[in-house]
Amino acid sequence: MKKLVLARRISQGLFLLLFIYILWSSTYPLKGLLPPETFFRINPLIVFVASVSLRVVLPGLILCVLMLILTLIFGRFFCGWICPLGSTIDIAGALRRKSPNLTDKLNAKLGKGKFVIMVIIFIFAYFGIQIAWIFDPMVIMARFVSLNLIPSVTLSLDKAFSAVIRGFKLYGPLYDFYRALKTSVLGVRVAYFSHSLVIFLFFALIISASGLLKRFWCRLICPLGAIYALAARFSLLKRIISPCVNCKRCKSLCRMGAIHDDLSYAKGECVLCMDCIYDCPAHATVFAFAKKAMVEPGAKNEGAKDGISRKNFLVWLVISVISFLGFRNRLEGPAAPRANIIRPPGVENEDEFLDRCIRCGNCMKVCITNGLQPLLLQQGLSGIWTPHLIPEIGYCEYNCTLCGNVCPTQAIPRLSLEQKRQARLGLARIDHALCLPWSKSKDCIVCEEHCPISDKAIKLKEENIQGRIIKKPFVDPALCIGCGICQNKCPVRPERAIKVERT
Amino acid sequence: MQNPIRLLESLRQRKLSRREFLKLFLYGLAGLILGSELLRPEAAKAAGFNGRKKRGIKGDHDIVLAEGDDPYTMTRRAIEAMGGMSRFVKKDDTVLVKPNIAWDRAPEYAANTNPAVVAALVELCYEAGAKRVNVFDISCNSAQRTYVTSGIQKAAQEKGAKVYFADDWNVINAHFNYESPMEGWPIIRDAIDCDVFINVPVLKHHGLTSLTLSMKNLMGVCSSSRGQIHSGIGTKLVDLTDFIQPDLTVIDAYRVLLKNGPTGGNLNDVVKMGKLIAATDPTLADAYAAKMAGKDPLSICYIAEAAKRGFGSTNIDGADILKISV
Repeated sequence: MKKLVLARRISQGLFLLLFIYILWSSTYPLKGLLPPETFFRINPLIVFVASVSLRVVLPGLILCVLMLILTLIFGRFFCGWICPLGSTIDIAGALRRKSPNLTDKLNAKLGKGKFVIMVIIFIFAYFGIQIAWIFDPMVIMARFVSLNLIPSVTLSLDKAFSAVIRGFKLYGPLYDFYRALKTSVLGVRVAYFSHSLVIFLFFALIISASGLLKRFWCRLICPLGAIYALAARFSLLKRIISPCVNCKRCKSLCRMGAIHDDLSYAKGECVLCMDCIYDCPAHATVFAFAKKAMVEPGAKNEGAKDGISRKNFLVWLVISVISFLGFRNRLEGPAAPRANIIRPPGVENEDEFLDRCIRCGNCMKVCITNGLQPLLLQQGLSGIWTPHLIPEIGYCEYNCTLCGNVCPTQAIPRLSLEQKRQARLGLARIDHALCLPWSKSKDCIVCEEHCPISDKAIKLKEENIQGRIIKKPFVDPALCIGCGICQNKCPVRPERAIKVERT
Repeated sequence: MQNPIRLLESLRQRKLSRREFLKLFLYGLAGLILGSELLRPEAAKAAGFNGRKKRGIKGDHDIVLAEGDDPYTMTRRAIEAMGGMSRFVKKDDTVLVKPNIAWDRAPEYAANTNPAVVAALVELCYEAGAKRVNVFDISCNSAQRTYVTSGIQKAAQEKGAKVYFADDWNVINAHFNYESPMEGWPIIRDAIDCDVFINVPVLKHHGLTSLTLSMKNLMGVCSSSRGQIHSGIGTKLVDLTDFIQPDLTVIDAYRVLLKNGPTGGNLNDVVKMGKLIAATDPTLADAYAAKMAGKDPLSICYIAEAAKRGFGSTNIDGADILKISV
């Protein structure tokens, strides 16, 4: 029995389920057992990079240091036993039975990419620009779970139940069961996210790369893996082999390509998957804290092979320059917020928001009206997948502070209810050419009715038109906070007669 | 890609692999869904009126006005004075109690029906032998929040009511036997498929209709873009009330929002009136409540429209009104 592999798989499965559970329970009234930002708090990449780029100490720093200390003891256990993206990649990788047997040189070369990416991320962070979000595995996984997985599961269940209930007229116990399911686990409404297909494709690309090479992402790209790899080089837990038949089965089967031709291994690459223990026909492999290896063949200084060659340096220089160009608009000065891009409540400085936001999707997942949606390229490359409010889909609920409560980097500030109620997202503006009372002398004032401000930020002006009193709405700019409920409820189609614009 | 016929063939020969079995299962499921979509009963459009039948059960009085300090006891005593709940609710009836749960506001703000009134009604229905009491409202703010903040979900559930969120796919398209602007409007099925409909609005200010009362409260069983009801609201609300035919109307005027309605949000706009109206005629109930709030009933467009059409009575002076103090 492969006890250790079984233990690893159970651990991976449980953490993957925990990850999904945490995001699933990240909804009103936020009664999950763990806060939605849990996995980001123990993520050194996000916490260190955001701390460097913002020059602040983010909560979770202690936990991250703890994670690194654990890595110094055990090695990259996080990548092999915890990381939910790594587990998903392992599942996909299981479809591919054999790894290509690569040479040591190529393996070493492939492994370097992630360090360069990590260094670039920290260089950007030093200049005050946080780009850790592009490559962070927790972020990629969370975005997929929140914006793809959960909505599609709930949507299919919703459609299946409603089709069966309607089709067979089962309005009895089955309907009650479905309603109970909706109020307890499914969520009252099926969330929709604009261009979630792009998010899915990005995720699918990363996962399907494991068809090329097992754990492609973890070996070549993952900057969080790189941080752990740096620490794991000094780990106390070691792979030790006793004299063996030199069949090199362990080398050819290693998913991380961590085992060298002479059967020594790159400690920083090993994710402790424990496969090599059981792959070994001579049962010669163990992991132990032994100070002196019984036999540690070819225990050469790895560092000697790790230098970056001139050619590599030039390649990465070019990549850095291109990525700088991609974020050029960030270096040209303050980002100009577009009038139609409404940020979540409490966000005041667009630059700071872009630097803090890691695009994890927590705020969009938790948004009770589904109004917070991912941007694509409307705000340039640097704005991709950041949240913005689309009032047509959902408005900002007056008494709700959820988005600020689940943001792992406080890009959306944690406001008290009183602060939140005064947080200004924009200003509503009435289009007199479309508004029913203004343009057609028809009764309406749905906007005024829904306005949550206690003295009504939308007021009414009575006008006598051919013997009829028509109430015409107008906005009081001193009171309007731009929550967008007026735009959401406005009955005029296709374009709404009242719109919130960013001020 | 195997075709389903070949799969069936291998099923007959009992040579179905797991993969083939799964495929067959999926094909079957797809066929089932497609079939049920095609055979959907809505395709056969029922002509003519498909709303609730008027049951015409009268109380001992046209109107009972309860005054006091405790909305729960006021409700119980008012219904008792009407002749008891068993007059309206028979054994094994399904009852819909339709409060106003539109806004994300606590009970003190008087934007929603008082939870104690709803709880008392649910309790009375079960005491009269109801099989099931449903409580729902299509809210204006997020449903999850309004159900909790209003206190109605908890209060009604404690008395055994089924409190749930209405599904926009579970509707009946309204058909009238006269020309109506509400023709074809999707109405939540449970509002029609119930034996007894008890309408429980809260009396409060409204920017367009000046007061929101029982007829306006019925907008809460309408699906789709309800904002469009606002234009020509008088006719639409009377047609809607005719379609629903509430058996009993209980207007909560314990706390009354006098300004900045229907949402409110400022306790200075709320007065404690300590009253509750029970009636079987929704028009009379609304007219009486309007007068109580200091308005001319005929100045409110839907009451005026009802009066014009002879839908219910607006004759407050000729009504049998019982006032009780609790």
